[in-house]
Amino acid sequence: MTLNLRIDLLIFSILLLLLIFKFMKDKKIPVKYALVWIFASAILLFVSLFPKFLGHIASLIGFEVLVNLVIAILLVLLLYITLVLTIIVSKQQKKITILIQEVSLLKGEQNNDKKS
Amino acid sequence: MAKNDKLLFIIPAYNEEENILKVVNTINNYKKKSQQKYDLIVINDGSSDNTERILTENRIPHIRLIHNLGIGGAVQTGYRYALENDYDIAIQYDGDGQHDIQYAEKIIAPILNGEADMVIGSRFIDKNSNSFKSSFVRRIGIKLISFVIKFKTNKMIYDTTSGFRAINKKVMETFVDDYPIEYPEPISTVHALQKNYKVKEVPVEMHERKGGKSSITSWKSIYYMINVILSILIVERKCNK
Repeated sequence: MTLNLRIDLLIFSILLLLLIFKFMKDKKIPVKYALVWIFASAILLFVSLFPKFLGHIASLIGFEVLVNLVIAILLVLLLYITLVLTIIVSKQQKKITILIQEVSLLKGEQNNDKKS
Repeated sequence: MAKNDKLLFIIPAYNEEENILKVVNTINNYKKKSQQKYDLIVINDGSSDNTERILTENRIPHIRLIHNLGIGGAVQTGYRYALENDYDIAIQYDGDGQHDIQYAEKIIAPILNGEADMVIGSRFIDKNSNSFKSSFVRRIGIKLISFVIKFKTNKMIYDTTSGFRAINKKVMETFVDDYPIEYPEPISTVHALQKNYKVKEVPVEMHERKGGKSSITSWKSIYYMINVILSILIVERKCNK
């Protein structure tokens, strides 16, 4: 990995971390969900700081060019984050369903009370 | 005990302005003749047509969902209502006029005498009847789901997509806790079987839809089959009550 790319990656991951911390501070992302992103950017930071370690892994897994491994890591991280998001959305869908049902039942009761 | 059991018809309705009044009227007429006491509740699943107006004007007991949930979410609302108001048996009865009210007693009988926890009105048990049995392609789909259910639970269910069914309180509790939102009939049947509830099919006849559109249209049927088969094979697992 060239020095330039390392620096790019370093700046990028630090910016990402800072952005996440800012979002956490502004209470835009609760800590629970921010953790996923902190984990992701920490891995990027690690990659840019210790490329030698990464080099060993790259040859071990079978990547000929180190940069490809970096891209692969990014891809895996993105997949992981979308998967987590899918889980969150599904949980929320369940909660919203219950909410709609309960609110509708309550409203129905109210209407019936008015009529009788 | 049977006579004192509280029974509730749950009628999910989404844009059924053409059918809903007829359906409710047939149930009301049936109630007068029957010895059993029935209540009914229409679940208006966020209809965009005149369904709500018809329901209100005719003073039909109903719940209007504040947002469309799909058939599963609507029926589950009915089960919630049934549990809250202490009903013993809930009968799902479609709002589109496909079902024949004359069979209601047959469907609740096995539950009343403790033979079953869940009863499905089936078009395919009585081979001799020549009533409406759905289109050829759909029958193949139903057979395929039947096969998958048999494979998973070792129990043969013939009419896997029938929406004419009754459940007792125990099953209601299970279904309020967890009910498939999208294509509930086959999946919830497996759900009940996996929880070791006794599921029974009784023969019924059904009519062709009188108006409106079925919830399952042509190209969606492929998605339907994949969704249902995956749900049955992968999601549902054996567990005790």
